[in-house]
Amino acid sequence: MEQNVIETDILIIGGGTAGCLAAVELKEQYPNLSVTIMEKAHIDRSGCLAGGMNAINAYLNPGETPESFVKYVRFDSCGIVREDLVLTMSELFEYCVKKVEKWGLPILCDEKGNYIPRGRWNIKINGESLKPIIARAAKNVGTKILNWVVATNYIMVNGRVAGAIGFSIRNGNLFVVKAKATIIATGGAAGIYKPNNAHDAQHKTWYCPYNTGAGFAMGIRAGAEMTSFEMRYIGLRVKDTIAPTGTIALGVGAPQINSKGEKFMATKYAHIGGDGAPTPYRSHGPLQEIKEGRGPVFLDTRHITPQQARDLKSAYLDMYPSMVLYWAANEIDPSKEPVEVQTTEPYIVGGHTQSGYWVDVNRKTTIEGLYAAGDVSGGAPYKFVSGCWAEGVIAARAAGEYAQKVEHADVPAELISAERDRVIEPILNFTHKKEGIKPYDMEVRLQKIMEEYAGGAATFYEVNEERLLVARRRLATLPEQFKYIIAEDLHDLMEAHEVIDRVLVAQTLVEHMLFRKETRWPGYCTRTDYTELDDQNWLKFVNTRRDPATGNIEVFTRPYEQIVPGDRYKPR
Amino acid sequence: MPVVVHADKCNTCHGAQNPPCVRMCPGDLFMKDPKTGKIIMRDPSECWDCLPCVKVCPQEAIEFKLSYQLGFHTAKLMPHIHDTRDFITWELIDTKGVVDKFTIRTKVLPVELDEKVEGVTAVDFSI
Repeated sequence: MEQNVIETDILIIGGGTAGCLAAVELKEQYPNLSVTIMEKAHIDRSGCLAGGMNAINAYLNPGETPESFVKYVRFDSCGIVREDLVLTMSELFEYCVKKVEKWGLPILCDEKGNYIPRGRWNIKINGESLKPIIARAAKNVGTKILNWVVATNYIMVNGRVAGAIGFSIRNGNLFVVKAKATIIATGGAAGIYKPNNAHDAQHKTWYCPYNTGAGFAMGIRAGAEMTSFEMRYIGLRVKDTIAPTGTIALGVGAPQINSKGEKFMATKYAHIGGDGAPTPYRSHGPLQEIKEGRGPVFLDTRHITPQQARDLKSAYLDMYPSMVLYWAANEIDPSKEPVEVQTTEPYIVGGHTQSGYWVDVNRKTTIEGLYAAGDVSGGAPYKFVSGCWAEGVIAARAAGEYAQKVEHADVPAELISAERDRVIEPILNFTHKKEGIKPYDMEVRLQKIMEEYAGGAATFYEVNEERLLVARRRLATLPEQFKYIIAEDLHDLMEAHEVIDRVLVAQTLVEHMLFRKETRWPGYCTRTDYTELDDQNWLKFVNTRRDPATGNIEVFTRPYEQIVPGDRYKPR
Repeated sequence: MPVVVHADKCNTCHGAQNPPCVRMCPGDLFMKDPKTGKIIMRDPSECWDCLPCVKVCPQEAIEFKLSYQLGFHTAKLMPHIHDTRDFITWELIDTKGVVDKFTIRTKVLPVELDEKVEGVTAVDFSI
């Protein structure tokens, strides 16, 4: 294992949508700073946007303001968000969208050149090539790109992040990147729970299966404060393909119906908005129908014209082509037959829900020198693509300013060699012909524990104290097994570290779910022992910090602060 | 088997160290077959069906299929990039052989057949 040592002013870990925008902003605002992106795949097609996007889902359409956006997001998150973060992010939507349009992103416009709204916060795009477009912008400003380098840990010197260590999955070299400031933008975590499909379609998941929680895990190991992991994201998706349903629900105005043809959202959930209820309820509602014997549940598309059905397929081809092939392969015409929906396995993300690093308004984490943007950053849900862009920009401005004031830290050689030993262990286990376990075996074990004891799809996402305690006990045995993981090649080695990171994320998640003794987000995390929303005791954030010395996870709360006046349970 | 590489159509991009399909897969799932030198998929069950590999292959040698759990064998969906690179045409064939075409605006950036990797010299490089 050779070492590549790189010195840069700013290191961005993760070359996805937030990371690329951060790189561009840095080079534009601070042309003298050197910027390096460490990316696990190839920046041109990595992260959540590899397949494309057909809408910008967070945008202030005419008549909306940052305040009205905060009100909606607060309502959608059942009354609790970091309003300061949501405000600062929404103020930059326009700046970011216009910027990316300038780079060549096709946005659908009417005859007058105005963006076409789709609902209050959405605009349609032809975003099949969104990722290569922003990647090119990041390269054009002179960012150094380290493709295929898997980040494994921060370089921690005197409580400050002074860069990061990773390894190349192309040649096995260790990359030691020393930086004055670091922006973490690795995305959230999939693969913590058992996937919806098995066998040859196990990665037919909604969230990018290659986002494995590395950014969370690195922060947890370093003692960063994390927030709201218990607000898991469980999406309502098209059955089997796990294609997004917003394209149908918003695109052609299809209501949810149960097997009796009843529009249950409109009747049973009228008090919180019917079909426009907060996102967790739009998963919880159909789940209850299925649980009580009125499944399957559908999006009723039978009112649409053949032309609308065709437009629907076009929209999916920009983002989710397998939906179109699925209809063709199963002889389904969405204008004649309603589209069956189901809920996904839980994901831990900061972009749809609000799990992630606890950050200040500049996206600075609780660790000196470390900033977080995008899915890995907590407190500000409803980010989607444009919010991740905005956070990349905010983090870049703050990190750039910080980097000008500090020098590179002296990195002790023992620190690097210790991390190298940890990273390479699974490969050595193979070359020394030790008996052991494959990363996939541990992944399946982890997923089974989480599925059955920590609120997976099979248990209707329900948890209680007793089951969670079993999950905690079972998970605690997995880290003792890390030393037996065997990796035959560098691809395996990447998977080995992915599962190690996932276990740490799962342990933190269980602590969060145990602590919040209320049901704030039914459908996302339903507690059968505390079934009600309890503003009196739980209008606050649940946060954790792992002690790097002992490994103990401390759980505590932070207060919620209302900035935008109004009823927190109303969308306007 | 979400993505299938047709070995008869794959020319390994004329022996590229790092052909576009290898570069574009976000899951690092493509590799050279040590025996034939052709591109193979490492582990089909790990595929996300995101299709950058299909769109980027200059030979149209990579075909996207639904796994059998999700759909039946004969249906096909193939993207073709226009020479102007600002449109993509999707050719959809259903199980009865009915062909439908969708032409959609896009912005396809040119992709080189090969690319150097940071920290790697050509000599010690192997997929």
